[in-house]
Order: sequence, then C-alpha cells, then structure tokens
Amino acid sequence: MAMTRPLAMLGVDLQRWRSRLFYGALVVALGYLIVMPVWRLQTLAFENDAAGYESQFGRPDIGETLRTTVGLAIASLVIAMVLGTLLAYATSRLPRRVGFLRIIPVLPIVMPSVANVVGWAFLLSPGPGYLNALMRQLPWWDHLDSGPVNVYSSTWIIIITGFGLTSFVYLFVSAGMQNISSEHLEAAQSSGSSQLGVFFKVVLPLLRPSLVYGGGVALLLGLGQFTGPLLLGQNEGMKVLTTEMYRRTSESPVNYAAAAAAASPLVIVGILVVLSQRFLLGNQARFVTHGGKSFAPAGGRSYWAAFFVGLYGFVALVLPLLGVLIVSLSPYWSENLSWDLFTLQNYREMVRTPGVMESVSTSVVTSLAAVAICVPVGLAVATLVVRNRHLTVVRTIADVITALPLGLPAVIFGVGFLLTYTQPPFILYGTKWVIILVYIVLMIPFATRMQMTALISMGNTYSEASAVSGASPLVTSLRVTLPMLKPAVLSAVALMFILLTHEFAASLMVRSATTQVMGTVLYDHWSNGSYTLVAAMAILMSAVTAAGVMVAMLVGGRNVLDNL
Amino acid sequence: MASFRISGLSKSYGSNVIVDDLDLEIDEGEFLVLLGPSGCGKTTTLRCLAGLETPEAGRIEFKGQAVYDSSARLNVPAHKRSIGMVFQSYALWPNMTVRRNIAYPLKVRKMKDAIAAGRVEETAEMVHCGHLLDRYPSQLSGGQQQRIALARGLSARPDLVLFDEPLSNLDARLRDQVRTEIHRLHESLGFGAVFVTHDQSEAFALGDKLAIMRAGTIEQLGTPDDVYNNPATDYVADFIGMSNRLELRRSATGWQTGDGVDVLVHRDLPDAEAVVARIWPEDVQLHRGNEPLPPHAVALSASLLSSEFGGRHYDVTVAAGSEEFRLRADAATHGSWLRSSTAGEPVAISFRPDQMQVYPLGEVAVDRPLVAAS
Repeated sequence: MAMTRPLAMLGVDLQRWRSRLFYGALVVALGYLIVMPVWRLQTLAFENDAAGYESQFGRPDIGETLRTTVGLAIASLVIAMVLGTLLAYATSRLPRRVGFLRIIPVLPIVMPSVANVVGWAFLLSPGPGYLNALMRQLPWWDHLDSGPVNVYSSTWIIIITGFGLTSFVYLFVSAGMQNISSEHLEAAQSSGSSQLGVFFKVVLPLLRPSLVYGGGVALLLGLGQFTGPLLLGQNEGMKVLTTEMYRRTSESPVNYAAAAAAASPLVIVGILVVLSQRFLLGNQARFVTHGGKSFAPAGGRSYWAAFFVGLYGFVALVLPLLGVLIVSLSPYWSENLSWDLFTLQNYREMVRTPGVMESVSTSVVTSLAAVAICVPVGLAVATLVVRNRHLTVVRTIADVITALPLGLPAVIFGVGFLLTYTQPPFILYGTKWVIILVYIVLMIPFATRMQMTALISMGNTYSEASAVSGASPLVTSLRVTLPMLKPAVLSAVALMFILLTHEFAASLMVRSATTQVMGTVLYDHWSNGSYTLVAAMAILMSAVTAAGVMVAMLVGGRNVLDNL
Repeated sequence: MASFRISGLSKSYGSNVIVDDLDLEIDEGEFLVLLGPSGCGKTTTLRCLAGLETPEAGRIEFKGQAVYDSSARLNVPAHKRSIGMVFQSYALWPNMTVRRNIAYPLKVRKMKDAIAAGRVEETAEMVHCGHLLDRYPSQLSGGQQQRIALARGLSARPDLVLFDEPLSNLDARLRDQVRTEIHRLHESLGFGAVFVTHDQSEAFALGDKLAIMRAGTIEQLGTPDDVYNNPATDYVADFIGMSNRLELRRSATGWQTGDGVDVLVHRDLPDAEAVVARIWPEDVQLHRGNEPLPPHAVALSASLLSSEFGGRHYDVTVAAGSEEFRLRADAATHGSWLRSSTAGEPVAISFRPDQMQVYPLGEVAVDRPLVAAS
C-alpha cells in the first residue's frame, strides 16, 4: 500500500496535466486558425499611419456605403423577424394531417444562396424577368416595357435578403416555442387571460431569449450579406462593406489595407454581439420551462396556418427554383417562354465547360475534409466547455473563440485567410488546403454548438453510470458518449455539408485560377453573362446538396434534418 | 469489522460547505441508509464514495486500502473502485439492449468468465426481468427500468453498492415493490450498501443502520429501532415523522404549554426553564367532548380541525391552543361520530408521559435525549 500510494498519485497528476495540455494545445490551434486572420487584417489596416482607413473611409461615398449596409441589415432583419415568428407560430398550429409541412420553413437553407439569388433575377429582372413579363399581361401594367419590379433595386435586394434570413429566425423561434409547454398557456387561460393576453403576456416574454438570440444572428448575417448585393446590386452601383472588401481585393490597384479597414466596423459589431449574447446567456435558467405536453396554442388547429406555411414555401423555394429550372432548359433567357424549345443542351455544355466538373469535386472534397476535421474538434471543444468546468480560463476562451465565426461575415475570413496564407509561415494559397481551413473556421461554431447542446441534454449521469461500472474515460466515450451523440453528429454533418457546398463569400476570396468551387465558377459565368450555363450550374449545386442530404438521411434516419 | 471507512470528509462549493468533517463506517454486508432533507450533503457523501466527486479533505478506505486521501494526494478514479451504483434517473444507456446494459460492468472489467457462466441472465432473473433481455430501455416501464438498473449495479458483484434515491422516480405502488426487491437481494447477496433517501419509511424498511444527516454532518447514527424509539434530537424526531411538537415552560406550580395553559406531565422533566416534547401521531389518543380522560396521562383540550378517512383509521388534525396535533383515530371507535363531526367541535387529546421525547428548547445537537423513554 505504501508503494501504491505515490504511484497512484503520480497517475492522477499525470492525467490532470495530460488533459490540460491537450485542451491548451487545442485552444492555441483554434486561436491561430480563427483569430490570426482577423488580427492580421486589423493590423494591416493600421499600418502606415492607418493608410487603409484613410483610403476606405476618406472616400466621398463612404457615408452612402455605410447607410446602405446598415439599412440592408435592419430592413431585412425586420422582414425576417416578422416572417420567422409568424412561421414558427403557424407551424405550431398546423393541422395534424399536414404536420409534415413543418419542414418547409427550413428548406430554403438547403437551396444554395447563389442559386436563390440568380433565380430571383431570372424572375424579376426588369426586362426579361418571367414574373415581370407575366405581370405586364395584367391590365394596369400593360403599358410598361419593363418592370414593374426591379430586382436590382435596393428595395428588392432587401426583400430577397429578408426572405433568406427568415429561415434562421424561424429555427431559433420555433425551438423556443417547443420549450413552452401547453400547460403554461392553459395555466394563464384558466387564470383568466384572453387568448391575445396569453400570447403577449406569456408566449412572447418566454420567447424573448430566442427572439434576442435569433435576431442577433440574423442582424449579423444581414450586415455581412454578400451574395445578394454582389450579384444583384452591381447593376445599379449598390455598395455595402462586404462588396467593398471584394472590390478592393479583386480590382486593380489591389488594396488589402483598405479592404481590411472596410472590415473593421463589421468586426467590432460582430464581437460585441457575440460577447453580449454570452453575457445574456448567463441567466437563461429562468426562461427554461418544463412540462410534459409540447406547445400547442389554444384556438385549435388551423388550415390558414397550413396555407401560410405553404405559401412561404412556394415563394421562398419553389418560385426561384422554377426560374432557374426554366432558364437552364431554355436555349436563351428571354421573357417569351416556349415549351417546345426546351432542351438539355445547357447541361451538355456545362459538362464540357472546362473547370465545372473539377469545381464539383473540389467542393465535395474540401467540404467533406472540413466536416471530417470539424466533428472531432467540435466534440473536443464541446466536452471542454460542458464537462471540464474546472478549467475555467481555457474553457471560456474556447467558448468565445468558437462562437466568433458566427459573428463575423464569411468575407472577412476570406480576406483574412488570403492575407495570412499567401505569406510565411504557411503558404497555402492556390491549394485545396486554404479552402479546407477557411471552411473549418466557418463551420466550427455549428460543429461545437450542436454537439454541446447534445452533451448538455445528455447530462452527466450516463457517463457516471459507465464510470462506476468500471469503464475508463476513454472506454466511456467510445462505448457510451459517442454512440449516444450519433444523431446529433449526423445532423451536424448534414448541416455543415449543405452550408459548405453552398459556400460562396469566403471561397470567392481564397479561390485561385486553378482551385475553384461550384459557387465561384457560377459567379464567373454570371459576370460573363452566360445565364443559361449559370442556371444549369445552380441546378447542379442544388442536386449535389440534395444528394448529400439524402446520404445523411440514409445513414442517420429520416429525422436528421429535425435536429437543425 | 469496518469494511468501508470515511474519516474527516469535507467538501464545499465555493463558500457553501456541503459535507463537514464527516466520519462514517460501513461494515461488511451492512446496509447503511443516509437520510436527510435535500441539501444536507447525503448525495455528495455518496458521490465522494463513488469517486464521482472529489472531496477537499479527509480519507476514504475500501477494505483497508485508501481510495482517497487528501494528505497523500491520492484519489482513485471511479472506474478503479469496486462499486456498483443505482441512479435516481435509472441512467440505462438507451443505445444498448437490456442484456448489454447488464453485461457492461462485466465487459469493461474484463470478467469474461462470469459472462460465459451466465451471470447476465442470472442477475436479470433475480430482478424478474429475464424475459426483457433483448429489449431496449425505451421499451420498458419505469419499474422495469429501475430493476434493470439494479441488475446492472449488481452484475459485477461489487464490494459496495451505492443507491442515489433510486425509488423517488417511481409511483407509490412500484416504490414498495422495488423496495422489497432491494431488501431481498441484499439478504441473499450480502453486498455492502449505502442508500441515500429523504423518505423515512424507506430508511426504516431497508437500513441495518441509519445515519440522519444535517448540514453536512451526522445528527444520529443507529439502528432503525434505536432511531425510531430514541430520536437523538428535536431535528431527528421531526424528520423521521414525530410531527407533534409541544413546548413546555416551567411555571410557579408545574408546567405550562407555550400558550400558558397549565398541564400535568406526571413525570420528571429536565432541570430547564423550557423544553420541547415530541410525540408520535400513533401515540396520541382522541377523546370526544365530555368523555372521561385516562388517569396519569398528559391531557390537553383541543378543537377538531379536520379528519380524513384512511381505511381502518382516520387521520385527524386538532388544534390545542396554537399547536396543531396530528393523530390516528381508530375507525371502529371513532368513525361514527367523526363522519358527522364539523370543524371546531371541542375534543381532548391525551398521551402517556413516557411517550414524550423531551429536548431542551432551542438547542439541538445533543447525543441523547435528556430523558430517555422507558
């Protein structure tokens, strides 16, 4: 016994230090990957007496650019908040027979944003837009030669952006609504509240954290909006900070410092929002509601709800997809549709076009590689944050760092990576690795948060039961924790694969002539005006995503998407 | 011989002391119950024994070997202690069948021979769940799940089995069944056990020894019989269900209740100005209006508050001055008039003087009652 004591003591200390070392190294690596590019960008903006700031913020039209950025973000946020909350309420009131419609508000996330944006251009472009042409048949617009809608105007860019953000708001609000048990509502009603009173005095206050959180995320996404303003806004010279960053790095004379300076306001707002969400999350316990019965608002089930959800699905998903599909099957894009001219010629041409098929394989390979790295890293971070409360400093840093990419627009990471990996110590520009790395950074928040949620809801008891059964920590994670996390991991994999095969903003910065992904190739053809090819590519991108989701469902069961 | 020994155990969260310099011994094959209200440190003590919680100070020995010793900086992790544990929430792994759940402790401890010898099936049979081996936990009822959890805790035949309020998620009838099963299994397998609960009837039914805890320390340690008949303090008496409390103050002529009503106690009480008496509800007699009272009994006049039918008895609450008394009235004797009685009806209550447990007023932590009941 005298012998075993020091030995055992050594073992305990060794184990403690091993875990400290492991998590320390993990945080340093993540810090380098995530913080370094942003840091490089900001130091560059301050170089030479802040010449970057002078060049960017000394411009006469900078006020206009800032106003457009903020206006786009706020106006699209308002649209998204209203629509997202209404959709969440409507899906909770769906008649049982059409309960499957619940999935519809999430589906627009599955459609690539570039495909969505070009779809709307095909529909609502003032001249040959199909919907515009249709509307010009109506008596009160039959005198027009173009319009009545101009998709290239800021109003319509805002509306389309707001539609895109609606799904994100919906995700947060509907999750919050599911946490309200119907007993809370019944308690309020039996205490004498009217239905309207219940909604305003009980439902909305309990939804406050979801609304604040979802609103925060949507605001950041709106501020960092890139695809819409770039693809649609160029016609009328619309400028926001993100498109400015792209312009400064892609048009000569290239001025990285100015691009970096343009990123600063977004970085500041992003960090503020991430930190304040962390701060607000502190006392979330009083919003946690428990109850056996799930949320079911009084007043019965409504077919109006089904109609509303269906209408949203039609407008947000079916219409743009239809626009893309029609153009992809037409010999050229014009307002006159003729069914008998439909042809698969565009697809044949797409396959022959150099670079297209390579871009598909590059997209798939880089996405899969990034996902494969993100899952274990995310699990390690989630374990650190949820299960190692004694490592206070390390876990707080890890928690904030991994939330950061959610707060900053992808464009910023794109420029930051371009800057960081075109110079020593790691020159990766032109390889797939720089794309994989930036993809990892973009996805780390999802990989971490989703597994964190799963770990928290799993609780400690299952692993404790394993430990007292005699299983070491390693055996416990292999035989108990990982198998139980499988559904959450598969959902995270599906979501990350969807988002990455769509990725456009960051890819556009770090791509090179030889290493392109689907979104960037599509953009090049859009800039060249090869619209029929663009349409075929948009369909191809959607098909690749759909195939990925299908595989995830085959492996993980049909409810993979339910966990989103 | 003490098989498991805890000495000087302390644990706190921040400034909140949960376990305070606790000493405890569990003999081989002994069933020890830790009883106390929530927050008294009973679960933390259990988790320190399991190795799921790291204490700040003290020493824990399993069969003469230290598994935790703060002075030697020794802490054997949970998976290297020979224990089994049954959780309140069952904690059956939902991704494994019942068979794999029960086999798990054997597998991870590399006890292949026991698996080959049919230990899994045998243990499942012991809890009457042999027919459920190929089901998943989600396909089982709460009672079945807790039986399987019990089987899992026992399958490796650990030296010590730890129970963390295992019955509190079950409904009343199942609770009694599973309780009986735990008792039977302990008698036949003879494992050492520590059982945490806040339910005194569970404690009395299962324990060879009871430790009543309060604020991180042990208030009384004794056999169920000992604790029932001689609760060490007012706190213990209250917690185990001796709910009737009567304050007595010395007056010029004898003793008065807290309300200043003279009362004959018919026995010597400690040399104090004021004391607290505790009486079991079962020991209190109910007397209707003008009925003669038994001689040499402590008697108080009271008024009826409520009576609830309980089969062979009525649970009656009366008010004697500002004190409320609960008592059990025999249905055969009192049923007819209680049924038609109304609240406020004048009654009297009485109990034998030796049925009072007497404690000094305001003081609590003493080893024994000042006057033992005869």
